[in-house]
Amino acid sequence: MSTSHFSPTHLSAVRSSRALSARGMRNMRRLPSTFIPTLAMPIFQAIAFSGTFFAITKLPGFPTDRSINWYLPLAVIMGSAFAGVGLGFTTIRDIETGFFDRLRMSPTPRSALILGPLIMTWVRTVIVVTMVVIVGFGFGARLTGGVIGLLCLYVASIGLATVSAGWGLGIAYRFRDMRGAAIMQLTLFVVMFLSSAQTPLYVMTGWLHSVARVNPATNVLRLSRQGFLGEVTWNGVWGGLLALVGGSILTLTFAYRGLRGLERD
Amino acid sequence: MTAAAPAVALRQTAAMSKRSILALVRQPALVVPSIVFPLFFAALGTSSFGRATGLPGFPKVDSFLDFSLAGTIVQGVLFGSVQSGSALATDIENGFFYRLLASPTSRLGILVGRLMGAAAYGAAQTAFFTVLLIPFGLHVKGGVAGAVVMLVSGGLTAIAIAGFMAAMALRTGSSEAVQGIFPLVFIALFFSSAFFPRQTMSGAYRHIANANPISYLIEGLRDLCITGFTASACAKALLVPIGIMVISFSLALRSLAKRVAAQ
Amino acid sequence: MSSRSPIVASQLVRHFGSSDNPVRAVDGVDLEVREGEIFGFLGPNGAGKSTTVRMLTTLLRPTSGTASVAGFDIVREADKVRRNIGVALQDAAIDPLMTGNELLELQAVLYGIAPSSVKPRAGELLERVGLTAAADRRVGTYSGGMRRRLDLALSLIHEPTVLFLDEPTTGLDPMSRVTLWEEVRRLNKEGTTVLLTTQYLEEADQLADRVAIIDGGKIVREGAPRDLKAQVGAPTLLITVDHGLEATASRVLAEFGDMRPTAEGTLGVGLAAGARAVTDVVRRLDEEGIVVHHLELNEPSLDDVFAEATGHRLEGEK
Repeated sequence: MSTSHFSPTHLSAVRSSRALSARGMRNMRRLPSTFIPTLAMPIFQAIAFSGTFFAITKLPGFPTDRSINWYLPLAVIMGSAFAGVGLGFTTIRDIETGFFDRLRMSPTPRSALILGPLIMTWVRTVIVVTMVVIVGFGFGARLTGGVIGLLCLYVASIGLATVSAGWGLGIAYRFRDMRGAAIMQLTLFVVMFLSSAQTPLYVMTGWLHSVARVNPATNVLRLSRQGFLGEVTWNGVWGGLLALVGGSILTLTFAYRGLRGLERD
Repeated sequence: MTAAAPAVALRQTAAMSKRSILALVRQPALVVPSIVFPLFFAALGTSSFGRATGLPGFPKVDSFLDFSLAGTIVQGVLFGSVQSGSALATDIENGFFYRLLASPTSRLGILVGRLMGAAAYGAAQTAFFTVLLIPFGLHVKGGVAGAVVMLVSGGLTAIAIAGFMAAMALRTGSSEAVQGIFPLVFIALFFSSAFFPRQTMSGAYRHIANANPISYLIEGLRDLCITGFTASACAKALLVPIGIMVISFSLALRSLAKRVAAQ
Repeated sequence: MSSRSPIVASQLVRHFGSSDNPVRAVDGVDLEVREGEIFGFLGPNGAGKSTTVRMLTTLLRPTSGTASVAGFDIVREADKVRRNIGVALQDAAIDPLMTGNELLELQAVLYGIAPSSVKPRAGELLERVGLTAAADRRVGTYSGGMRRRLDLALSLIHEPTVLFLDEPTTGLDPMSRVTLWEEVRRLNKEGTTVLLTTQYLEEADQLADRVAIIDGGKIVREGAPRDLKAQVGAPTLLITVDHGLEATASRVLAEFGDMRPTAEGTLGVGLAAGARAVTDVVRRLDEEGIVVHHLELNEPSLDDVFAEATGHRLEGEK
């Protein structure tokens, strides 16, 4: 067999991931209709929730007197969750058009096929978080926990985007059509709302309290709100970090196995 | 139009209504979200905001569930009506609409049949939500008479919203464009008293909710549930959707005429 | 089977669906493609061509059986297989939002081309397939023929020794088809082994050194197109001669094989010895003083081969 001048001696997961994430960013710019809703939705949610439930802060013991301080992190977190699911959407489209087969046929490490788009999702999430936070400050949100508090919001967002991206990819690899999109969206929506999304745990009554108390999404939301409800405390941080690390490991494993499973059927 | 006899037109309209209802029943993927999401939010709200009913500005209510029924109904009807509208756009996209035009069916029947289908679904949603929530502690103070008015109001609201969707469908002929209105419906719902009373809101947000007709529709329905069968409640629950309906129906008629003329 | 052959498959099987009632898409395929040849994989839609190719290109694992491509096992050494093969897919799966250049550069990275070589290599390949002018246009604006040519360029980025082309010309106009054929021949001359699937008989006939006919997940015939056609039967020689000489001519023709039914005014014979008997026929007719006005040799077509092997015709069933 003749040897090629272009033998793959420069194969690396890092280099491939970078190229794949660059592709994702470029396509986002070229097809803004896939990006704009993921930015508009959290902005709307931040404004609509804090406006509608304005009076909620008047409940005795409520941790802030600004409703936007309570709902801005929720909106940011929901936006990050859907940024991850958005990756599931674009992957389904790549599978449907056959482009994903091209990627799979290349000798590039399999990890790059997940890591590349994931990096793109992180960048995308940071953009969304930053813009929503800026709008939120315009609508009266105030940082109480300093730069560390803001950092908590970014960490929670990127972490949750990772978890939901793993979930979205895993579902995309298994369903390979738009049914998958509905499933990943719906499950995430329900999990995120059955938590301290709308009100603090102590305000809730009945079944929701029992569910939200054990829902890891509550921990993630607590982490995200560290900078907006007084001082940052380790107590408010570690549970969220744990949930995000654990969740990321689980869903990324789910995604990786799904990617491998594509060869099987 | 060959057969203009009112009886024939009525029969055709009925057939069109039946078709649009069947289309909904046969595609649970279209129906389920407009049933499940409002119920999910009702359940969520009741557990989340149960303690909020004591806040200043809140009307006197026995439970947050009683308070939230009106919002649940309007939310469900709004979501459901978007589907009815985009179904008409799908008819245009796949050419079925033109086959109807070529048949001796009355033009008006095509539109009215669609809207009647939406009305039936809206009323059914209202009944379903009300009956389903009773075992969870819902109490309709307006009694049977109040419930009937709510049913009629649900139907009228469905026509009012489906009218806008039909106008959009007839104008653009694209179901994607009709679905594109969905966020607007969502915004209109949120900037109203659907989830919390206007009286608890503040600033610009409160001004928008005050100007939003959906606020009054919801408060009419809500009063029927939490206060009783009163003239002002009935007036709000019925006149608001009728007012919107007059506007949206005339828009839809104009778009229908344009599309038929352009054929 | 020679272990040096670039593509060797042995009893390759692929099932889909439930294990109790599986669809046997590929049902025991044996295949050997020799170094430097163009091998045509011919069959109707759903015959198992694409599934076989998806297994050989590591996209799909076989249910059972083994195969090696470029000397590597397609399951255990999938990564090494990927490094050595180029694949152009049926639907030219290319991202419409990207430009031709961007796609080539992405492909170059995914195939581990040295960073300094990426741009020159992309430019060289665009030049080769005649897309230099369109290099910075989004692929969404390309015509069908341009997409296929770009797809081919993409599959060549790492100078693969084995090239898979899955229905490379399906849906192309005749001009674009011929351009693509020429490029495939050129690649083959440069030493690339090519396996192409097609549902076009003419394509297999024109391009392939050898073909395999697949139907219902099984290979039903394999060999050089000429040999396969020869197996079906003798070629038919058709001649027209001066009026009044038909009887003599018929007598001469009958010496070379069975007479075949023909249209009025034409004589036909099945040449038992094959096409090389034509010169003898002409010489004998000349000896009898018969002038031949028209002479035509009709080989059995691959469609005849296909029909004989499967009981149905390929063309007209698409």
